[in-house]
Amino acid sequence: MSDADKEREALSRLRAAQSDAARPEIVTRIHDKGRLTAPERLDLLMDAGSEVPYGTIAAAAPSAADAPWVVETGGLDALCSIEGQPAVVSSTDYSDSGGGYGAARIGRLLALAIEHRWPMVAFVDGGGSRAAHPRAGLGHIELSGAIGPYTVFDGMAELSGWAPTISIVSGPSFAGHASIAGFSDLVIATEGSAIGMGGPPMVEAALGKRLTPTELSSAEMQYANGGIELLVANEPAAIESARACLAYWRDRAVQAEGSPDWRNPVADPARYEMGEVIAALFDPDSFLELRAPFAPAIQVGFARLGGRPVGVLASNPAHEQGVIDDLGAQKISRHVELCDAWGLPIVSLIDSAGTATVWRNKDKSRTREPGLSRMHGRCVLAHQRRRVPLLSVQLCRGRGLAPALMTGYSTGDSVAAVRLAWHSVELDRADGFALVRDGNAFDDIIDPDETRARLLNLLRLLPVSATEQAKRHAVDPW
Amino acid sequence: MEQKLIDEIKAAAEGALDDKRPDVVAAARAAGRLTARERIARLVDAESFVEYGVLAGRTSASDDPGPGDGLICGSATVHDLPIVVLASDRSVADGTQSDRNQRKAARLLQAAVQERWPTVLLLDGDGARPGDKGWAPPIMVAPRGRYGLLDGLAQLNGWAPTVACVLGKVLDGEAAAALMCDFSVATINAELGGNDDGSVVVRPAADYARRGDVDLVLEDEDAAIDAARRYLDFHRPDAQPWTVSPDYADIADIVPENRRRPYDMRRVIAAFADQDSVLELRPDYGRSMLTVLARLNGRTVGIFANQPKSPLAGSIDPPAADKASRFVELCDAYGFPLVSFVDNPGYMVGPQSESEGMARHHARPLASLHARTVPLCSVQIRKAYGLGPYAMSGWGSSRNAPLLKLAWPSVESGGMSLEGAAYLVKRKEIQAAASQEEALAIRNAYADKMRESTTGVRAGRTFQFDDIIAPDQTRERIGALLDRTHTARPARPRPIDLT
Repeated sequence: MSDADKEREALSRLRAAQSDAARPEIVTRIHDKGRLTAPERLDLLMDAGSEVPYGTIAAAAPSAADAPWVVETGGLDALCSIEGQPAVVSSTDYSDSGGGYGAARIGRLLALAIEHRWPMVAFVDGGGSRAAHPRAGLGHIELSGAIGPYTVFDGMAELSGWAPTISIVSGPSFAGHASIAGFSDLVIATEGSAIGMGGPPMVEAALGKRLTPTELSSAEMQYANGGIELLVANEPAAIESARACLAYWRDRAVQAEGSPDWRNPVADPARYEMGEVIAALFDPDSFLELRAPFAPAIQVGFARLGGRPVGVLASNPAHEQGVIDDLGAQKISRHVELCDAWGLPIVSLIDSAGTATVWRNKDKSRTREPGLSRMHGRCVLAHQRRRVPLLSVQLCRGRGLAPALMTGYSTGDSVAAVRLAWHSVELDRADGFALVRDGNAFDDIIDPDETRARLLNLLRLLPVSATEQAKRHAVDPW
Repeated sequence: MEQKLIDEIKAAAEGALDDKRPDVVAAARAAGRLTARERIARLVDAESFVEYGVLAGRTSASDDPGPGDGLICGSATVHDLPIVVLASDRSVADGTQSDRNQRKAARLLQAAVQERWPTVLLLDGDGARPGDKGWAPPIMVAPRGRYGLLDGLAQLNGWAPTVACVLGKVLDGEAAAALMCDFSVATINAELGGNDDGSVVVRPAADYARRGDVDLVLEDEDAAIDAARRYLDFHRPDAQPWTVSPDYADIADIVPENRRRPYDMRRVIAAFADQDSVLELRPDYGRSMLTVLARLNGRTVGIFANQPKSPLAGSIDPPAADKASRFVELCDAYGFPLVSFVDNPGYMVGPQSESEGMARHHARPLASLHARTVPLCSVQIRKAYGLGPYAMSGWGSSRNAPLLKLAWPSVESGGMSLEGAAYLVKRKEIQAAASQEEALAIRNAYADKMRESTTGVRAGRTFQFDDIIAPDQTRERIGALLDRTHTARPARPRPIDLT
């Protein structure tokens, strides 16, 4: 055998050692838990044959003694395309280096993503600590040795607002892995997973309590509290959601087409679910709701109108009368900032009895009162800085500051593209007709049946390239 | 010109002044508060007030009973810094907002945006005026001018400073304005709240301060207005006269010899900063983090620091992360260099902080530090474990690196606290211990042993810091570098998150 052949063989041996085929027991163990291995997940996510892997032999540490401290150990990282859209992907599972990731390698791929405006999708299982070494405890984050201008941390911060960042949590995700998730635009978690900053060993060391990951910070709890955007059944569903989210961004320049007709489901404006209106108004099955159980008087998500992706902002009169409380205001603000960064026009559907503020009492109970918090102010700021067009429809009530928080004042650099009201509109101090005639409160009062046509026609006129300029701002992690 | 016309105008304008309204002054005295004009006089430089709309009335009648229509406003200076001041006048219709007085506000807010003037609100009013004909829902396209109150404040955000003094009962739209300012200070008796179908619900300003909505609560109006003046002083472009704090020489003594004993980081900051230059923001919120405006060699710096003497022992929970993040953005917007004093066991772990969203909130200071354009100098006093140094010292930012990373000889560093690591290493022995005391002794003994390998000299040898310095070298090192950096005010607005 020639030297070249030997080297080739050595390479394939190292690669083979990295493959799932070389570790049937581990693969079985992962499958028995109803989960996929790190490579299997990427295979589901990426377009077949599009993969450009980085560091295929990186996990092969020179010696067992060095293994835990090799910077590039752990996980799979690659460039690829996802439904034709170039992207950076990363995947770790606990079978490799305790789920540690190759920090420098991710930083390097992030630099490419920033250069070319590519989204990032990361599977962020991992974390845990090795306390025997004083430098351990962060899921093997190592910063010296970064290649290129960015580390994981500032790379995530820099990519934020420029291209989408999506994290998928399907096992316990703590420390550095949770940090990647924390920086992400969207976090998608599977049922039964967990995500938090300090994993069980850290908690035991700090507080002396032994907790399982889900006792400590379950995905279900995070979903209720707004800490993650989506909770889905399993990894294939999470991957489907990630692809759907990326498609809204990828298609942001698609021209709106299609039928202006829709069936208005509202029989009684005093009693209806905003979800029914959303489902009927936008393209069939196009609404992807984010953070659904958190502050449910406000609904946010993505949808399509004549095929063109839009951000959806709505207050649901069937829940707390659509009143915008502190958490609802946070939900509005971050979604406006997210849609602005993603270049998605916003459709705002308003039916709200006003604003409220929530006080935490000493006994941990909560009191809702009329009033405001700084979170409400953040809505005004978010709209004032918004560059994407906003189309608003007030269905019935819009009391107090609620309409302003849903649409912004039209005095910043961004003027609401249109402010419509149904003839069922009800206002504090005057009827809607008078306000249009005398007060310019709305651009028009319409028959509900006209809603989709008005929005669709306007959307066709709105430039699809206006948002394709320099990065405007990062998406706030919270 | 006919003298009568001139006299008539002069008389009408003078009629709005306090000495022509003895009943208003008497009512204010009886209520233990200052009149709106007295408040303005305490805020601004003498003779500097150029009033807008003094003649504007609650009605348009020549004998109008509501001078200024309940809002006294104009341009003025504070220590020669030009500002806009808007003061609600409770003596006219409970200081409520009317169409007319909001047109006055709109004029001045636009001037503030155009001239980049700081804006001060002296608030004491009941929100929207009931029955006001011109009042309309806020969805309207600003019919009163380029900007209304809230959108004007939003437009000023990160462009020119905005200050709210909450001096009485402040409701609805006026409360919203207070919560949109960079800096809000209230008196201990002040209240904020809202209307719900006519029933007013208010809470003391101190409640709002505890959740970070109000920066500072002080004993009376004089103190609150003085705090506003001091806040504005930080925005003066020139270096101010300064002296070194008499405590600086003994700054090392603030850190106890026993490395497990807490100390008050406020003392470190006060000793480091120019004498009497410190203004602490949001002391009642996120109390494990301190955010302080101060001066170093006469120039404004923003200091953020962990507070070992706090219930969380300096660890960073979601409110502390938010507090630091917003402060970094504030300093960035106004070109204040940042100095951090670091002593924390990392981000707060455990079910409580996780349920508050630690995994999201922790990234906010990291993102703010990455986006900053002002220099950052950090001083690690003792520990910064886990992601602690990333949040405080800008570690992890290779593109926008901290200017200077210093540590004192008391420094410790690592992935988790020495005590925490010791617990995990010695877990079996600790759990087998006969008593809590014995368990602690085992843990602490091993931690102390590990401590021997993480000394200041060792941190210097391994170049984890740019230098390990004696505490009384800190001012000189940072002062010298900051003198060499160029930190002009940004030419464009730099957003400051409100939360």
